[in-house]
Amino acid sequence: MIENARSLNIAASVILLAGMLYILGPLYLTLATASQSYEFLLRNGLAWYPGDQFFNNAARIFTETRIPIQMLNSLAVAFSLAIATCILSFLSAYAIVYFRIRWAGVAFALILATIMLPVDIRVITTYQVASNVFSPVNALLYVTGLNGLIAKAFGAPVQLELSVLNTHFGLIAPLVAHGTGTFLFRQFFLTLPKDLFKAARMDGAGPVRFMFDILLPLSRTSFAALFVLTFLSGWTQYLWPLVASSTPDMQTAVVGLARLLPDSDGEVPDFPMIMAGAVIVSLVPLLMIALLQRYLVQGLVLSEK
Amino acid sequence: MTSESTLFSNRWLPVLLVAPFMLLIILFFYVPIFQAFYWSFFLEQPFGGGSMFVGLDNFARVLSDREFWQAGGRTLVFMVTASSLAVLIPLILAVAADRKIRLSLPARNVLVWPKGVAGASIGVVFAFVFNPFVGILAPLNKAFPGIWAPGIDGTDAFITLIAAHVWSGIPFNFVILLAGLQSIPRTMQQAAAMDGAGPWRRIFDVQLPLIMPQLFLTLVLEFTESVTSAFALIDTITHGGPGGATTLLVYKIYKDGFSGYDLSGAATQTAILMVFVILLTAAQFAFLGRRINYER
Repeated sequence: MIENARSLNIAASVILLAGMLYILGPLYLTLATASQSYEFLLRNGLAWYPGDQFFNNAARIFTETRIPIQMLNSLAVAFSLAIATCILSFLSAYAIVYFRIRWAGVAFALILATIMLPVDIRVITTYQVASNVFSPVNALLYVTGLNGLIAKAFGAPVQLELSVLNTHFGLIAPLVAHGTGTFLFRQFFLTLPKDLFKAARMDGAGPVRFMFDILLPLSRTSFAALFVLTFLSGWTQYLWPLVASSTPDMQTAVVGLARLLPDSDGEVPDFPMIMAGAVIVSLVPLLMIALLQRYLVQGLVLSEK
Repeated sequence: MTSESTLFSNRWLPVLLVAPFMLLIILFFYVPIFQAFYWSFFLEQPFGGGSMFVGLDNFARVLSDREFWQAGGRTLVFMVTASSLAVLIPLILAVAADRKIRLSLPARNVLVWPKGVAGASIGVVFAFVFNPFVGILAPLNKAFPGIWAPGIDGTDAFITLIAAHVWSGIPFNFVILLAGLQSIPRTMQQAAAMDGAGPWRRIFDVQLPLIMPQLFLTLVLEFTESVTSAFALIDTITHGGPGGATTLLVYKIYKDGFSGYDLSGAATQTAILMVFVILLTAAQFAFLGRRINYER
């Protein structure tokens, strides 16, 4: 404390209280309403105090909606997205920082550019690519005239087709194509002392050994931070899972939750049940934040530096 | 190679290490971007009916469409209001939390929670909390009928969107700004205090100038974020209504492409939006980024 400024501390406390109220208010109202019955909602509107119907509403989410299986999808998507991002980012950052390669700058720029245009902007054409991941190959064969030759030689041009829509791979792959992780690992590698490398070399460690025995153990915290960050981002994605999955059983829980809201205004929707759904769907990521907050904050700070 | 070198000199190993990631990025990032620009010059038939080169016809069609300009204007309004609030409010909270008071620890914990709540989930929650019939403002509506009607009044719907957007933007911006504030050496604050600078003066003359890099970063990221992440909120809270009052470009592109099957139109708008985002980022770096002193 620099000076004893009581009035200022009070003002700061009031501000923080207001901020916490802004965050917690909607969450509390969600929880309170989720524990009331539909009739209660119709009679009294929004619930200011919790009731005893939560397990009833939650049970209906589990029996009447597809949210249980969608939660498994979310778990699979978020988990594999986090794992894939960690591994691929680590490998590419390792190559960019520790090898004498002329194209390191270009590769890093190409990877970093992905941060600027998220999948939500390029959703239309990403969807087209996902509907046939070989379409660039087909186009290349066609443009280079190779397909003409093939058609002459074999009687028919090559037309490869493979759709990854409505598969877990398709749900994950476009989200993996994001440069934050590479950036994070690169920044971390650059802070490591150069002598580390020299010492390892002197002891005769090759690139693979250096990576597994020295870099990997040192990067544990970065891995944890990136894992938490990407897991949360995978769980909370909306637009891409919405378009990439065409059956309810492939959708993620967040998409399934949004589908519970009726499209048209009309009678009051069954908000208690929907709010119970919101609570259930947000439980996994919120638990993660509660348990691994240290890594999340670290990840957020690291990803900007 | 000598052991003095600080780099490995293998030739193919780095290629092998980068290749899988680069392949994914090319396939799901660069090809879609290229295709959006490519399609904007062709008339695409839905369901793979072939395409026809039409030059700038798509751009002429999109640019003469009043709905496109309205959606673009709304995107701008949303971008400016939502993202400045989404930086300003966390900034105020971070300055408050930087003081060593009892509440600052629980606040630091709670203010990160929204990171775990999906945009669409909080959209569902806000759709309920601000529902004119059963929501938090329903009693007000009973006293003054029609004062809060997001289903009819575009402004009310817009306010709901912004409130939800700021809510979910707090964690990242708060954490970044607070980290910036905490990296300011204590001695600097003490020196300023000894020179007679009061707390307010120190906020504006010491703290804010020193966290300019963080402030700049949050603003740049927030601008892009507000253009794109609004989708989940719109799709759950307003569905673009009432009467298109909350149809931002990202929502219009989705509607045109996936409900209207106007692939060329959607691709053209995507191309325009991408150019806009890239230019905006570049302009921010050119005009704001250069003036920031990163040295401490």
